[in-house]
Amino acid sequence: MKKRGLTIVILVILTVIIGVIVVDFLNNRPDRRGENPYALEVDQYKVVDPELISHKETRNFDLGLLIASDMSLYDRALYVSGNSSLVVIPLDGRPATMHEILPRATCLEVDQGNIFVGFSTYVAKYSHEGELLQEWPHLGESTVITNLAIKEDKVFVADAGNRRIVIFNREGEQEGEFEGKAESEAGHGFIIPSANFDLAVNSFGELWVVNTGKHALENYSDDGRMRGYWDKASFDIDGFMGCCNPARITVMEDGSFVTSEKGIVRIKIYDQSGELISVVAPPALFKKERSANEEGKAPEVCVDENGVVYALDFDRDVIRVFEPIESE
Amino acid sequence: MEKKDKDKDKGYNRRSFINNGVRLALGVSVVGTAAFTLQRSASGKDYVWQIDPFKCTQCGRCATECVKAESAVKCVHAYALCGYCDLCGGYFKPGAKLQTGAENQLCPTAAIQRKFIEEPYFEYIIDEELCIGCAKCVKGCSAFGNGSLHLQIRHDLCLNCNQCSIATNCPSDAISRVPASEPYIIKGNFTTEEES
Amino acid sequence: MLKKIPNLALILILFALLTGSFLQAQQRFPKPEFDTGYVQPDPTTPEPRAMALEYFDVLVLLAVLSLASWLAVKKRSRRGLLWLSVFSLIYFGFYRDGCICSIGAIQNVALSIFDPGYAISITALLFFILPLLFALFFGRTFCAAACPLGAIQDLVVINPVSIPSWIRKTLGFIPVIYLALSVLFAATGSDFIICRYDPFVGIFRMDGPFLMIFLGITFLLLGMFYARPYCRVFCPYGVLLSWMSKFSKWHLSITPSECIKCKLCKDSCPFDAIEVPVEQAYRTPEVSRKNLKRFILYIGLIPVLILLGGWIGSKSHIFLSRVHPDVYLAELMISQPELKEDEENLDIQAFLESGDTFEQLVDQAAVIREKFRKGSLVMGGFIGLALGITLMNQVVFRRREDYEPHKGDCFSCGRCMDYCPIDSQKSKGESQKLNVESLKLKVENQKSVKSKG
Ligand code: SF4
Ligand code: SF4
Ligand code: SF4
Ligand code: SF4
Ligand code: SF4
Repeated sequence: MKKRGLTIVILVILTVIIGVIVVDFLNNRPDRRGENPYALEVDQYKVVDPELISHKETRNFDLGLLIASDMSLYDRALYVSGNSSLVVIPLDGRPATMHEILPRATCLEVDQGNIFVGFSTYVAKYSHEGELLQEWPHLGESTVITNLAIKEDKVFVADAGNRRIVIFNREGEQEGEFEGKAESEAGHGFIIPSANFDLAVNSFGELWVVNTGKHALENYSDDGRMRGYWDKASFDIDGFMGCCNPARITVMEDGSFVTSEKGIVRIKIYDQSGELISVVAPPALFKKERSANEEGKAPEVCVDENGVVYALDFDRDVIRVFEPIESE
Repeated sequence: MEKKDKDKDKGYNRRSFINNGVRLALGVSVVGTAAFTLQRSASGKDYVWQIDPFKCTQCGRCATECVKAESAVKCVHAYALCGYCDLCGGYFKPGAKLQTGAENQLCPTAAIQRKFIEEPYFEYIIDEELCIGCAKCVKGCSAFGNGSLHLQIRHDLCLNCNQCSIATNCPSDAISRVPASEPYIIKGNFTTEEES
Repeated sequence: MLKKIPNLALILILFALLTGSFLQAQQRFPKPEFDTGYVQPDPTTPEPRAMALEYFDVLVLLAVLSLASWLAVKKRSRRGLLWLSVFSLIYFGFYRDGCICSIGAIQNVALSIFDPGYAISITALLFFILPLLFALFFGRTFCAAACPLGAIQDLVVINPVSIPSWIRKTLGFIPVIYLALSVLFAATGSDFIICRYDPFVGIFRMDGPFLMIFLGITFLLLGMFYARPYCRVFCPYGVLLSWMSKFSKWHLSITPSECIKCKLCKDSCPFDAIEVPVEQAYRTPEVSRKNLKRFILYIGLIPVLILLGGWIGSKSHIFLSRVHPDVYLAELMISQPELKEDEENLDIQAFLESGDTFEQLVDQAAVIREKFRKGSLVMGGFIGLALGITLMNQVVFRRREDYEPHKGDCFSCGRCMDYCPIDSQKSKGESQKLNVESLKLKVENQKSVKSKG
């Protein structure tokens, strides 16, 4: 009798063991698992007061298979550099044209005379017909050219690898360079932790350079003396967050800045002195797309005389057009 | 008596004949399986488990799914990729403003040490004793920084399970067997597609 | 207005250029340079355990197996086997953390047969075949002294109860199903369930997830009354070993010479592995005829069982294939598309981030399901076959006159040998025969004394 009881106990325990295993096995399923207890919560920083938003996305240009690297706006046409090609997209609806440029361009800048294209370590000058006119000297091993700016006969080349701005004339002769160092307490020089290093010349002829490591925009004279700066490091909407922001800038007619940030992607407008004016595109519009290990890349931004912002969304390879919302 | 013995012998012989035959068959099939397996995937190589940091999506399961109570996965810093930023996205909680107090740290175990190198550069060092491999800092670093922090299975801790229990649970298929001769996939050792 | 630039030619050119540009590796962003000349350290990379040591493990296994076989078959020493199993427990269990083990190696072999992309390590392969080959000649000496799982269970056997044969036989069928499932899951690259539910690694490592430790402790507690529960009710490797052992050439025997049917050893086996002689009464012609009929019936049943098993298997392949994460995910996303928006569902989010399209996932799932369809069919058939053979073996045909270990079930632990009275007689040859006779008498006397008292 006792033995019988024991046998039953044994059988019960065995059944329980099998049951536990089966239940555990069946439960370990993607939709039955909890959320990540160690998730990094940044959602609160993605919320933007709708009052601040000044622009609305109205249309976009699909770039197809082009993996774009930079964009420039000149004479009512968008110039986009991408995998070994340069695409010119007129804004009036005429068909796009394409020129082949080799190898892979990292950036470009256009003015009435030429198209300047930056490659990783050197700059080349093209005609508007896409003809290679000049290849400028290489700038050395650790050079990573991220952006160009033209001011009359000078071309400023942002070299993120060496944390410097190199000044060329239009013929490709190097006229100087500067690292943004100054005696003042702010003059630490450029701190560029990654290949995000932008610069722009505004309509008053001022050269503005982003010191991404300091979250600062700095104004330099043509020969590289710092004349002024403003900085804003903050996760809130009025500042720049993380490292290397704002990753890209451009200037409006009135001298205010359009800034574009990576990480939590957002496009904003600041006035000359660094006060936030409005938000062009909140992070919600740049919800992380599939396939990106790193969180959103900062879109390249261009702005036209009407305040329309063109944003090149690298995660989707689309140019998105943001037009100002008409205020009643 | 005699006849019985004989019978028994006969039975015995027949049985041992069958036995021998089956044994031979079984032996051949075992050795055959082995030989087939060998020529199918002959490799003197050994394999260990490793995370491909380029696939990892920082889901946090590395901290919880390892068979070891304290995960064999730790955060590894590819210093060569790091921007040595003052405002490190992997070190500070979002919104924290440069106060280095533990409450401002992203890491749940305060396993990251911040070391001043020179104005304005800071080095971030992982204390592997404390790190639980939760990937929170990795997320922060890839979101706001250069992505120099990443997870790796540490082979001094890993038991090299037959089937890595994290690998079965990894939503991104980031964990696979790699040759034991190259047991790590450290981010900084790679030339990666340049960020634009 | 949505404007597409490319015409077809453009796309083609772009595509050609694109593939080219991927090949050229891009320069990494240069490290910061410090004014103070500080140089960044390199991340450390502690080495995994050296391979040479794995070969050493194989050597240890070989040595243990040889020694165990010698101890069981030749030396007939329970004590030796016991100490050897303690050694194995310490070495393969606590020192080597229970990995690598022969039981789990089944899956490595299965995976490497069906997945050409997976290269099995020589160590795992040897761990898989060595014990089988030994079993083919010497019985399950691996279980006796080399298997750490067996050893830890063997040590806790305190008060084993004997279980009715039909329950034992039924329970004994579970390992066959477990084996079939684990091979199916391993071959399809879904999961290594043997490793996942290995109850003792948690104890060997003194660390592990709750379920593992819980199972381990439960098994050990259970093992005090139901000896070696994992071995008898779960171990899939035991199935293979038992097939081999059934046809082993030199299996351990209870008595060193001739069985005197003293029944002393009858209850000595904690695993109910000793078979008693088939009584004369059962060997009457009509019983034999009945047996023959049953035998023929069962033989005829085997193809039916195979077909039935195959049919059930292929019917359940859809269910089984859900074990593979890809299939599960694909089904989940089809049945509940709204989950795509669920930020909390890590697996779906991770998939969406991976850059693969949904169609790719579905195709992938279809391929895996197809593997499952074939695999489940074979698996079902196999289970049917095994069931048939088990039934067939129920029919006792062979005259058994001695007390013998059941070669398939016996773990060669050697306990019973100590119970055989003949073992103590060191004399050989003629005198032995006499001794046997006198022993018989002695035993009879003892018995009658007992029954009187
Ligand atoms: S489980 Fe996979 S995705 Fe999640 S943290 Fe680990 S490696 Fe990354
Ligand atoms: S945040 Fe997580 S992964 Fe990073 S150091 Fe801390 S414990 Fe380790
Ligand atoms: S192999 Fe085992 S010990 Fe190593 S990380 Fe995976 S689960 Fe942890
Ligand atoms: S039956 Fe399995 S677990 Fe038990 S001793 Fe044998 S191989 Fe090990
Ligand atoms: S040797 Fe075999 S029959 Fe004898 S006690 Fe051990 S398991 Fe039982």
